[in-house]
Amino acid sequence: MKYEKKFIRKEQQQVSESHQQQQSAGKEFGSVEEMLRYDVQQTQVPPDLTHRLNQSLSKEPSAVRRSWWQRLWGK
Amino acid sequence: MTPGRLSCLIDVETFVDDPTQIEPAGPPVLESAPDDFAELYRNSSREIFYLTLRLLGDPAKAEDAAHDVFLKAYKKWADFDHHASPRTWLYRIAINHCSNLRQSWHNRHIMADSTDTVLDNAVASTDSPFRILETKELGERIQAALDQLTDEYRLLLLLVADQELSYDEIAELTGQSPDAVRGKLHRARKAFTAFFKKTS
Repeated sequence: MKYEKKFIRKEQQQVSESHQQQQSAGKEFGSVEEMLRYDVQQTQVPPDLTHRLNQSLSKEPSAVRRSWWQRLWGK
Repeated sequence: MTPGRLSCLIDVETFVDDPTQIEPAGPPVLESAPDDFAELYRNSSREIFYLTLRLLGDPAKAEDAAHDVFLKAYKKWADFDHHASPRTWLYRIAINHCSNLRQSWHNRHIMADSTDTVLDNAVASTDSPFRILETKELGERIQAALDQLTDEYRLLLLLVADQELSYDEIAELTGQSPDAVRGKLHRARKAFTAFFKKTS
């Protein structure tokens, strides 16, 4: 009886370890969108892009949005 | 693997001692822009860069293109009248810009040998070796599969990858009805899955 319990516990442990191994060894996606969305999240905006854009924008006139009447009258 | 599911095998154990050490980079901050434009950049720069990266297939060209897209948007920002959402408007600028770039023969010629460098520059230097391996392997396979698709299918899949874009907005951006988008997306998914499986 005691031996049986020990055996079951060991078997459960092996199943759990095997499950964990499967989870860590592969990545599975339910759809193409899911895979692409994961890929988007893994993609980092290059720090250089933000730096270059900051430099470029500092040379441009201000882009404060005009109100509707300013746009209507071309102000 | 369950039929219809896409899997990508990654050797996690070899490369990660402690997965909790992987920290995502903070959102990019645009200091020299008005608050509303800076917010647009913060919320959509990743998606716009991803679109340019996958449409052009080259990280350096994608960075240049994303820079030009945001600069164009900034110059037109004062006159943007909110008939469309700012994000959709930005996507339109990005699609047109990439389409113009892709039309030149020179650009197409360079794209052919860029597969090996895809995403090398796109991964932040703070990432662990595991993350680089994972991103690179998956990214390369996705790029290879996307490159096999028609321009229309590629664009539809890249747009639907942005959860914030509705089918109506994708339809508007691609100049067709939402029903046509649904039908074409169905075929695009099937084609992508077939090509992706061949990349393993």
